[in-house]
Amino acid sequence: MSAHETSGKPGFFQRNKSYALLAPGVIWMTLFLVVPLGMMVYVSFWTQTTFAISSDLTLKSWQTFFASETYFGALMRTIRLWLTVLVLTFIIGYPAALFIGQFVRNKTTQTILLVACVIPFWTSFLIRVLAWRPMLGKEGAINIVLQEFGLIDAPIEVLLFTELSVIIGMVQIYVVFMVGPIAFMLARIDQSLIEAARDLGASGWTIFRKIIFPLSLPGVVVGAIFVSVMVLGEFATASALSGRKVNLLGNIIVTQVGSLKWAFAAVIGVILTIVMAVVITLLLRVVDLRKEL
Amino acid sequence: MVLEGLSKSYGDTSALRDVSLTIEDDEYLTLLGPSGSGKSTLLRLIAGLERPDKGTVQLNGEDITGLAPHRRGLGIVQQNYALFPHMTVFDNVAFGLRWREVDPVTDEAEVNRRVGEMLELVGLTGFEERAVGQISGGQKQRVSLARTLVTQPRLCLLDEPLGALDANLRERMTLELRRIRDTLGVTFMHVTGNENEALGMGDRMIVLDAGSAVMIAAPEQIFDQPQTVRVAQVLSAYNILQGSVRDGHFEHGGSHLPLPPGSDNAQYYAIRFESASIVPPDDPSVLMRATFVASEFTGGGVTYFLRGPEGVFEVERHLSRADPQVYKGGDMLGITWNAADALAFGSDGVLISASDMLGAA
Amino acid sequence: MNQPALRIVLAVYVALFIAFLYGPFVVMGIISFQQGPEGGPQFPIIEWSTFWYQHVLGFAPPTRVAPLPIGQALTRSLTLAFATMVVATVLGTLTAQAFRRNFKGSGFVFYLVVLGMMVPGVLLGLGMSLVANQLGIQRTWWGTAFVLHVVYTFPFAFLVMLAIFNRFDARVEEAAWALGVTPTRTFRKVTFPIIFPGVLSAMLFAFTLSYDEFPRTLFTGGADVTMPIAIYGTFSVEIHPNLFAFGVLTTLFSFALLTIYGLLMTASVRRAQSRATGIQEDIE
Repeated sequence: MSAHETSGKPGFFQRNKSYALLAPGVIWMTLFLVVPLGMMVYVSFWTQTTFAISSDLTLKSWQTFFASETYFGALMRTIRLWLTVLVLTFIIGYPAALFIGQFVRNKTTQTILLVACVIPFWTSFLIRVLAWRPMLGKEGAINIVLQEFGLIDAPIEVLLFTELSVIIGMVQIYVVFMVGPIAFMLARIDQSLIEAARDLGASGWTIFRKIIFPLSLPGVVVGAIFVSVMVLGEFATASALSGRKVNLLGNIIVTQVGSLKWAFAAVIGVILTIVMAVVITLLLRVVDLRKEL
Repeated sequence: MVLEGLSKSYGDTSALRDVSLTIEDDEYLTLLGPSGSGKSTLLRLIAGLERPDKGTVQLNGEDITGLAPHRRGLGIVQQNYALFPHMTVFDNVAFGLRWREVDPVTDEAEVNRRVGEMLELVGLTGFEERAVGQISGGQKQRVSLARTLVTQPRLCLLDEPLGALDANLRERMTLELRRIRDTLGVTFMHVTGNENEALGMGDRMIVLDAGSAVMIAAPEQIFDQPQTVRVAQVLSAYNILQGSVRDGHFEHGGSHLPLPPGSDNAQYYAIRFESASIVPPDDPSVLMRATFVASEFTGGGVTYFLRGPEGVFEVERHLSRADPQVYKGGDMLGITWNAADALAFGSDGVLISASDMLGAA
Repeated sequence: MNQPALRIVLAVYVALFIAFLYGPFVVMGIISFQQGPEGGPQFPIIEWSTFWYQHVLGFAPPTRVAPLPIGQALTRSLTLAFATMVVATVLGTLTAQAFRRNFKGSGFVFYLVVLGMMVPGVLLGLGMSLVANQLGIQRTWWGTAFVLHVVYTFPFAFLVMLAIFNRFDARVEEAAWALGVTPTRTFRKVTFPIIFPGVLSAMLFAFTLSYDEFPRTLFTGGADVTMPIAIYGTFSVEIHPNLFAFGVLTTLFSFALLTIYGLLMTASVRRAQSRATGIQEDIE
């Protein structure tokens, strides 16, 4: 045996091994995640004039935001849209997840179904958003099909370039993020639990209410977090499908940055962050995720 | 190797308490411990996979307590063999030789030679190119052994090496392990929960219970003269009766049992399963009465389970002596034994031995 | 759960659901065969033709419709995705390796990392723009956008590797150490080969996420655009069916890649299985 290390405490490297491994990741995240976000908060307090910006601190941008009908309205609209999409993705996604997670016994079929849900993602996000236009328009696919089947006489006009179209587009794109985690949790439920409940005489609805749904809750929360984060930060879908009628907080940030109104954009950014932090904290209250992972 | 005062706790549970032990060169040491006794913890401390809270580990006079596992020069054969799944048998065995930090063997011809020799020693010649997934449990164990021994460690730790093998294989591996060890002159420390294994294989034996080393001696001594009641229990070979001394007898549940000389303050009385025999209940030699519960045929003998005044009493009868007797459940039977075969333990659970008495007298 | 009526209802529901998911794709596919160059990206189909495919691939005769600005953008996207994949996987593996032991502050680090995938691209893009402005750094796809791509994909790689390490049996590592092999070398020769399939998944994940990444890149990509940004640029201008033709082509390409990946994984799994089953022999 060569290299002696005399008794007592482990070598410096060994004790700090975990920290050495963590260092690159933590440094990267601090530099490129924490700093930009911090900067955003800082800049939201800067003084913004029409053409210049200075780092003197002021609350003016904040006041402008809350005082303004348009901007404050955008906040409300964003929240309203988020809630709508969240609830819709849940309602639409849960039965699908239930089928895949509980009613399909074959593992391969399960995987195939899930992959089938994911395949649409292989088309670039933006192109998929754009693909909704020919679907929803006055001469769009949906109207054509409905008229073909004689279900309606005149084309439905509200489908495109309205808030509804944005909702439809978002739901279609993000519902998979609900289905995935929920199906995953449902598939993990031990069948013997359900059989035992059945033996004890519980009805299907009771079993669902008391066993299946509660056990799927972590999946619902994960799905809700994914969907919420994506919807709250959205701007592309709104822009493409509503023809500038729907202005979400995300859209405003983009336009403000376009006109170089940095401080104001930062204010909106901070507000968006706060909204999201609140949403995620609330969702995490429902279930302790780290345990489940 | 010398272990001194090793202690280790996990949270609130204490796994090892102040264990001290000297391990010699070229010996076969077995360690018997029921589950929860801390035997795996002890192995891991010796190997350096965990650090003790207190105490030291010394090798050849050097304190290695803080030394990383790859620098200790010890070998370990784990319970699940832990073979490298992505390598062949040959590469598994050669791994240590090729890639160790100190003195790696760089000459491939040398590697070939030593691996070949070791495979021959464990009886696996011809298995070099097999994938790990293609061999049986017994073979995996021998690969694990070969992999460790080819690096010529001074001390080889074996964690329940025979646990996963069926009875037939186990018997053969028992002989194999002894043969291999004798050939190489390596010290083996063989940890097991199986008392027969521990008794049969070691030159010296340690009994570990609840984190403490309760007895260290030659197997015969441990078996004949268990130092404490607990050791006797762990051996699974003794009936242990509680009671007290009265009028020169040991009184247990209404029966008067003959005392070994000098054990006036005995509180525990032990008699081996095979030292007792069953006689008709009215036989004059009857020491204790019991009702028959069940019997178990074990090939070479029969084990009878009886219900005595305070619990189960086991009697083993080797069939080399006579045909098995058949009893019915509920039959009242008598048990007898030689007083000289009984052991007495004091209130502290320690054996009261004849030599004690000589001293006291 | 075996109630047959419910099962059928749900099955029908899922069928409709999947149709809902594929709707736009089907429409996109149909319109990609629109007559060109006059046909627009809407119904009705004036005449079926493969004109737009030719247009995308550069074979069509010149028309007033500008070709999609994808050439260089595509290369940039691929390069960026590749680089992101490498860095994110390395960071993810290192960090997951650290998590194999309990250490103080593990909760904090965990959330710090996961934060990277939670924060919407808009906010991060904005923040990074501000920082870049302040420090006078130019915004480039290989600089400012790249670091954000890693911030976004590293948490995904991390979670994948975390799951892989959870199922990894550490005892083979202990065996290697006991044989005298240093921890570093053990990682290279024992741990890494075993976790490699997981590493591949993490890499695939990271690549896919980076390739299609849009909001972060929008703010930080600078003058030279990546593919999604190039497409976004066509939003405000007229869009033509060539975009849809492009969409169909890229989808088919991704499909092909993933099929190859799937086949390779199945082949290697099958090979490993045939070694594992195999003859159970007696001990001589």
